[in-house]
Amino acid sequence: MSDQYDVTFIEQDERSAKFLVRGITPAFANGIRRAMIADVPTLSVDTVRVIENSSVMFDEQIALRLGLIPLTTPDDYRPEETVTLAIDVEGPATAYSGDLVSSDAKVQPAEEHVPIIDLKEGQRLELEADAELGYGKDHAKHQGGVAVGYRHLQRVELGDERGEFAEDDPEIIRGVIEDAGASETSRAAGDGGELVETASFDNDLGNRYPDRNVSVEDVPNAFVFDVETDGSMSVDDLVLSAVESLRTRADELEDAVQL
Amino acid sequence: MSYKCSRCKRDVELDEYGGVRCPYCGHRVLLKERSRDIKEVNVN
Repeated sequence: MSDQYDVTFIEQDERSAKFLVRGITPAFANGIRRAMIADVPTLSVDTVRVIENSSVMFDEQIALRLGLIPLTTPDDYRPEETVTLAIDVEGPATAYSGDLVSSDAKVQPAEEHVPIIDLKEGQRLELEADAELGYGKDHAKHQGGVAVGYRHLQRVELGDERGEFAEDDPEIIRGVIEDAGASETSRAAGDGGELVETASFDNDLGNRYPDRNVSVEDVPNAFVFDVETDGSMSVDDLVLSAVESLRTRADELEDAVQL
Repeated sequence: MSYKCSRCKRDVELDEYGGVRCPYCGHRVLLKERSRDIKEVNVN
């Protein structure tokens, strides 16, 4: 395997991205996916000190809800550091994640409108919460990547013209295709073809090429990743630290095993 | 130990001789109030 991988972005946002990676094995692709879910540390509430809780839920239930609120995680945090968040809401009102006041301006709830609990007249929630770094493999609250997956890149080649009385079955495919027949220029270039999301033609190749026969094949060692974060970090940071953790563990293994 | 009478809603201190009974209205149902201590909970 080479040191350089060919990465093409298909879609890129702060919190979600879709990108094509060429030249990696299926095992490596799955390694990256697993690292994104389980091996990238994020901050989450770990200990809660309840000062007053006259709401209808137990302290433990509220603590669990606080733990599941994603917090923005700056990359300079060390595992033993803690951030304190405080909340004080009096009913009638709903306590939202946005009501949390953080001791570190860089650590904030990723979403302001996560409801913690609905408080009625006379009920009050006042507490302090300590957030710590942790890994997704230890607790789901520390998962940075929440909807992470990959698919093979599929290559679509155009065949001959379809007969007038050919059957009209839909040709459903999902993901991203490498369209060899999309344009004269891409065919002339000889490599690959235009990258098209199947959603753009309703996942049915029959819509895109109504009167041509097509053949669809997986492109070997090319994977389209679909990554979404919970907001604790950007997709770029998530993918890079996942790959970094994979590299660190590979180095550790190399040091530990003497051949 | 501080309790609250469920009928007259007044705070009640129990001693060992009086039995479980509100000294103000004689009601026998008392509610235990939540402690004012700060309670520490682990998230897991």
